[in-house]
Amino acid sequence: MPSETLPAASHSISEWVKSYEDGGPLRGFRCPHCGLITATWGLACPRCGTVGLEEHALSATGTVVAFTLLTVPGDEFLNDAPYVYAVVEMDGGGRITGWMPTVRTVDGVVIGERVRFRPSYRPGVQFIRESEAAPTISGA
Amino acid sequence: MRETWVVGAASNRFGKMSETAREAATRVSLAAIQSAGLSPKDIGYTFVSNAFGIAEHQAHVGPLINGGLGIPDVPSATIESACSSSSAGLHEAFVQVAGGFVDAVLVVGSEKLSHLDTLAATSYFAIAADYAFETQNGATFPGLYATIASAYRAAYPTTPEMFGAIAIKNHANGARNPHAHFQREITMETYLHSPIIASPFRLYDCCPFSDGAAAIVVAAKEFVKAPVSEPLVIRASARAGGITEMQDRPDLLALPATQTAGAKAFRQARLTPKEIDFAEVHDCFTLAEALALEDLGFVPRGTGARAAMDGLTVRDGKLPINPSGGLKAKGHPVSATGVSQVVEVYEQFNGLAQGREVPHSETALTHNVGATGGSCSVHIFSRR
Repeated sequence: MPSETLPAASHSISEWVKSYEDGGPLRGFRCPHCGLITATWGLACPRCGTVGLEEHALSATGTVVAFTLLTVPGDEFLNDAPYVYAVVEMDGGGRITGWMPTVRTVDGVVIGERVRFRPSYRPGVQFIRESEAAPTISGA
Repeated sequence: MRETWVVGAASNRFGKMSETAREAATRVSLAAIQSAGLSPKDIGYTFVSNAFGIAEHQAHVGPLINGGLGIPDVPSATIESACSSSSAGLHEAFVQVAGGFVDAVLVVGSEKLSHLDTLAATSYFAIAADYAFETQNGATFPGLYATIASAYRAAYPTTPEMFGAIAIKNHANGARNPHAHFQREITMETYLHSPIIASPFRLYDCCPFSDGAAAIVVAAKEFVKAPVSEPLVIRASARAGGITEMQDRPDLLALPATQTAGAKAFRQARLTPKEIDFAEVHDCFTLAEALALEDLGFVPRGTGARAAMDGLTVRDGKLPINPSGGLKAKGHPVSATGVSQVVEVYEQFNGLAQGREVPHSETALTHNVGATGGSCSVHIFSRR
């Protein structure tokens, strides 16, 4: 079967990476049957098995549901430790993971912390605490 | 299905090997075959696991092992399932033997990582995670389990001392196991003063990077007419998968692959968790032992972390867990781990576990997880 006629996802992994490198919106999937929202690439829902996922834009803000402060990194984060790795429940649904380069102590973040996606030229999804986000400049 | 036994077993000392994974695998394989009273020519198939062979510039190691055993004509295949590689090999061996295709199968796992520095080893361990959706976002292997631990601590009343008690128990067992990487006990003070690796995990919450090799021989009862040692009857050989990425699971506090493989295994064996005399579970981190106890149905949800502190899982407790020292103290040479859990059951059933015996044990369970739960094997064994 020629590859162009094989089943395709709404977007590729490289398009997912480009979505966060370009500053969002982060590209995700939504299951039309069970409603699962995820960033993880696939042709079918990992929860209910429904084949055929819809394109779904993830929001830029969310809440930390689990995290760790890493002091021993892998090679791609050699110069970044300590930093936080977190699972974030995005507003509007879907959990994604990311790292928080500005949190360098174990008590710098808590479960329930409000965070915002931050565009970066570096690989990986980055989050910062909402309280650190630059205020919107209005007027003047 | 034919009744299928584990008839021989051998392990080297985990820790640091000067030889290659291939040499160690070949040596433990011959020892396992000889412990069964067999010769290499009795082997009809070899399943080998060496997930990080690439770190030694070596793949396709099965034919090299068979060649070194003088049986180059015997077929082999490499089985990779991250940290559950060699228990997946055991499952494939069970299928071959119970299904009547082969009479005797060699299952061997071997790994060498000690020539890598911590940075390289940490990076290798992370490759079993989802690169695009976990590792590239900053995850390490300890980091993934530590992330689950943060949610566990938020959901259930948990103290650092509970995790510490798991590490102390497994070190106390490892101190009595000549195969163990760490043959020394630790105190709560040592645990609590060890550095944070990935919060809330301290150094002593984490298994070490270990070299090591372990092998078993799986054979049909009808093939082994007069066993030279107490065989392990394989009562259940179950595998399951689960969503790899924890963020996509409905429940952060459970490994669905363990729940599914465990339930299947208990059904196959027609046993309940209460009928298991001891278990070797996958304690790559202290929290992982707690989750395993819960997901296998040994204890209620939310109580796994306190089981060691309460004395349930110590060697003379009601349910001894990891009498070998577990991954935590015996060590975690990734591809050797699954088979080495079975080596412990073999030694326990054959009176070879001096100093760490689980008295009067008749039935044992082994539980081996691939990465953070993408894969899981559960096996149940009993005496004849």
